[in-house]
Amino acid sequence: MKVTLSWLKEYVDFTWSHEELRERLTMLGLEVEGMERIGGEFEGVVVAQIVSSDKHPNADKLSVCRVTDGQQERQIVCGAKNFQAGDKVPLALPGATLPTPSGEPPFTIKTGKIRGVESHGMMCSPKELGLAEDAQGLMILPPEAQVGQTFAAHLGRPAGDVVYDLEITPNRPDLNSVIGIAREISALTGNPLRTPELGSPGTAAAEIVTAEQCVCVHLADPDLCPRYVARIIRGVTVGASPDWLRSRLEQIGIRSINNVVDVTNFVMMETGQPLHAFDYHLLARNSQSGCPTIIVRRAADGEKFVTLDGQQRTLSAQMLLIADETKAVALAGVMGGHNSEINLNTANVLLESAYFKPQNIRATSKKLELRTDASYRFERGADIEICDWASWRAAQLIVQAGGGQIVPGAVDAYPTPFRPRQITLRHAKVNELLGIDLAPAQNIEFLRRVGLDVFDPSDESCTVKAPSFRVDLKREVDLIEEIVRLYGVDKIPSTPPRGAIGLHACDAAHDQLAETRRILVGLGLNEAQGQTLISHPSAELARSASSNEAASELAALARPLSSDMNVLRPSLLPGLLDALRHNLNHKRNDVALFEIGRVFARNSGEFREERRLALAMTGQRRPAFWCGPDREAKVDIFDLKGVVEELLDHLGIRGVTYQRRSSPTGLYVESADVQLGKFRLGEIGQVLPALAKRYDLRDPAFVAEFNLDLVLARRSTARAFKALPAFPSIRRDVAMIVPEATTHEAVLNAVKQAKAQNLEEVQLFDVFRGKNVPAGQKSVAYAFTYRNLERTLTDAEVNAAHEKLVNELKRTLHATVRE
Amino acid sequence: MSFLDQIDPLKQEALAELKAAADLAALDQARIQVLGSHGKLTGLLKQLGTLPKQERPGAGKLINDAKAELESVLLERRTELERKAAMPNEPSDFTLPGRRRALGKLHPLTQVTEEIVRSFRRIGFAVADGPEIEDEYHCFDALNTPADHPARDVQDTFYLESPEPVTDGPSARLLRTHTSSVQIRVMKKQAPPVRIIVPGRVYRRDNPDATHNPTFHQIEGLYVDRQVTVGDLIGTVEFVFRELLGKDVKLRFRPHYFSYTEPSFEIDFSSSLVRKMGKDWLEIAGCGMVHPQVFENVGYDPEVWSGWAFGFGIERIAMIRYGVNDIRLFYENDLRFLQQF
Repeated sequence: MKVTLSWLKEYVDFTWSHEELRERLTMLGLEVEGMERIGGEFEGVVVAQIVSSDKHPNADKLSVCRVTDGQQERQIVCGAKNFQAGDKVPLALPGATLPTPSGEPPFTIKTGKIRGVESHGMMCSPKELGLAEDAQGLMILPPEAQVGQTFAAHLGRPAGDVVYDLEITPNRPDLNSVIGIAREISALTGNPLRTPELGSPGTAAAEIVTAEQCVCVHLADPDLCPRYVARIIRGVTVGASPDWLRSRLEQIGIRSINNVVDVTNFVMMETGQPLHAFDYHLLARNSQSGCPTIIVRRAADGEKFVTLDGQQRTLSAQMLLIADETKAVALAGVMGGHNSEINLNTANVLLESAYFKPQNIRATSKKLELRTDASYRFERGADIEICDWASWRAAQLIVQAGGGQIVPGAVDAYPTPFRPRQITLRHAKVNELLGIDLAPAQNIEFLRRVGLDVFDPSDESCTVKAPSFRVDLKREVDLIEEIVRLYGVDKIPSTPPRGAIGLHACDAAHDQLAETRRILVGLGLNEAQGQTLISHPSAELARSASSNEAASELAALARPLSSDMNVLRPSLLPGLLDALRHNLNHKRNDVALFEIGRVFARNSGEFREERRLALAMTGQRRPAFWCGPDREAKVDIFDLKGVVEELLDHLGIRGVTYQRRSSPTGLYVESADVQLGKFRLGEIGQVLPALAKRYDLRDPAFVAEFNLDLVLARRSTARAFKALPAFPSIRRDVAMIVPEATTHEAVLNAVKQAKAQNLEEVQLFDVFRGKNVPAGQKSVAYAFTYRNLERTLTDAEVNAAHEKLVNELKRTLHATVRE
Repeated sequence: MSFLDQIDPLKQEALAELKAAADLAALDQARIQVLGSHGKLTGLLKQLGTLPKQERPGAGKLINDAKAELESVLLERRTELERKAAMPNEPSDFTLPGRRRALGKLHPLTQVTEEIVRSFRRIGFAVADGPEIEDEYHCFDALNTPADHPARDVQDTFYLESPEPVTDGPSARLLRTHTSSVQIRVMKKQAPPVRIIVPGRVYRRDNPDATHNPTFHQIEGLYVDRQVTVGDLIGTVEFVFRELLGKDVKLRFRPHYFSYTEPSFEIDFSSSLVRKMGKDWLEIAGCGMVHPQVFENVGYDPEVWSGWAFGFGIERIAMIRYGVNDIRLFYENDLRFLQQF
């Protein structure tokens, strides 16, 4: 909502500067989003007349003049020569700011001494006023120039003003009007609100036609249109608006169309009541009565209608129309019709001022995607009581701007008069909610100031009638808000936070997530945050990766912004791949990222969300270094698996197994399911080269994704102290050649089966293929540590146990032990 | 030559040898020759028995003194040679970069969220959360924003495609537009008092640009108890923002409108940072006293319970705090960005 300072001042007095008004409005809840100064050139420059001129006592080239500015005589020291007493000149008073070339600080006139003589202002040349590039001497004004007039007015330039752009909250439709805003200022200052005085409608002489004889109004659906006021103005000359009207509208960004339409817009901005003007002659007449009937009815399903903007619209039975007996003439509360609009030939005007049900206007406007200043106001709730007043005001202005006469009277179809809502305020409740101590009289004073009718005051309570324009006042707390707005929230003392204990199940989960993040950051991965909304192809990509997700469907948006963002991510991996690509495209080739976030799917109609952890690594294993044989080593699957193992270990997840999937998927060239018993925690693998290429990845990329809800649910945080070993351990190494297909897990299982006595730990320390190892086989080397907790083991007993173990491994694994 | 006369020359000879030893091996050789079990000085000790009984203590003392002196010189020499051996051929260049073990970084949004959560937890708040796919009831209706309410315009909402025809009913599924939906879920489930904070992702139908992303994060606080006042709200907000933005921060509450609080306020803050941006105030959060209608919707008696709620955007705080000028940077995961925080 835009409003100018000068317009506001027509309805209420206040002495605040424009800056202060901005502050006051903002603190009242009308946030000023923009403030622009317009016009106001030559501020502080007036037309003055030189009374006399004498030589400067201390300077040959200067003179000392007596000059009148219309209010007083001033002494001015001047360097120009081209004038004589009696000349009229522009005089810059102290405080005036003269234009300077851009970039230079503004030049402000001050009272000062020039060569020992006081000078109270400056007479100006055209150049000094920015009116000419170059000029010699003072600007001599014509003799008819009016002394004391502002120089801007003398030139016919507009006076200075300030345009405010206010954010009006949706609960306060009354503030979408200049009078509404002025009412707030009146409440704050205590100065009265001045609404325009309307002349009396005048009593019609018997022979003069009245509005009732010129038009009938039929409300077919009083629920959707509970009030309709029709008024007629005859003999109007449609043409350009007078300057005052045009400039009022243009200053707040409304294009001037013609005097009649401009008046309806002006009154809408002034009062908040949207109006519509029809060309009376374009309305169909009833053959019997000879006058048109305005019918406010629902549209027929599929009915076509051409609005003012020339667009043909297809309507539904939920939409309300203004019609005559043969055709629709306006889309009620939204936009007028092409077939009845005011044009240069219009002589008689039918002025509509109505109230429409907000929900209905909102639905129509939404469905047709047609937003207008009128629909904006009606859907928030207009003032049903102001319809006639606004119509009368507009009719008078139309006559003022376009001539003609108002047909006496009006047709006011208003079957159920407005009954104000009564709200009781308990004074104790005010103090209880605000935490202050206000006297009842003070509360009542605040309520009266915002225009509420207060009655039944007692020490405990009072009751107010909510006026028709305050649709937001529904219950006690709404009145308390009015009080706090006027009292000033800045005056409420703050009370320190009270001690209490909050409880919620998610609180512990929050710590677990934080812990998980910290571990991963410690392991050298950076945390990422991806978009929740991704493209369908990206989503499909991740979905195809996990076989057991194939059954679920994607969660898709009904009205997406674009095809890049039309489904909810079913996995975090597409987002991480995007992040890898982004980094590689910016020459960051070594990337290790993780993300914790939610993924979404739909299972047999039900939406499902799950918290996941995803990891991605590509590029060099270690930060750059300047020597060493493996300094350029690239990340491989075991780097990622190492991170996963470290994380799961720290979280206390024991007994995790990795089961290689037999075939590639749409995402992985090679991958494994990560299982904890029957639970599938997640997956890990290498990105398919073709896919990696699509994501501009150069080095092999490795990713993993886990169901984090499940992982965290399976944590075991129990810790128990185990006494430190008091007796030494003995280590025996074994290198053996086994078939390629023999997994590490198989070896460990074989070791477990062998049940070697006093065996404490098994550690793999080498896997080797090549020289001396037959094709299709590999050499694996394990270190076995033996220890007894009660005594020192002898070599002999370890040897016996170890030999038994090795024989068992040879047998079960078909292994050849390398000596 | 007397037995005792041999001690001093032997000692002198041994000292010379120890001092001359060029490396640890030579030193050890020298040690064995003198102090080893077959060494010369050990040999003298063995001859002590040949002396008359009364001379033995004196002679023993002489030999042991010589031995102690040699051992001390030996230790000194060994320390010196060991130091020499450990010294690299070329002096190390301590200005060379070290072999780094990279540490990752928490996302700046996580860092800011954690800080906010920490402040709230200090005053007894628990973290709560709810689903991101919500229904209209929890996101709007129960929050006193019925279907035909103009306030719904402010939050342009993503609706989900559903197998049933898309309805504008309370069960229509959408992406939550604010974390306030969790208020309803928590209050419906637990009896007052309530003291929660809700960090989480929220969604608005905005095309991505420097200040908008369809996905962003909010954090919301809710406190319900007996006799909670606007003063309590101000006090808590001040506490949290001073922790978050520094002690010099100034806060301003302005009346505003949210459908689920009454009275409602927007919070502006001012600090040296804001002034550096050439502004007096910067809007940072919205808040208010829980609307009695909301209490009635969840089955709390508004005559008994009162409370406040407040919420703000985490991206906004992070942008102000770090001077980030484009919200999209938070979602690109550019390492050059992530590693700055």
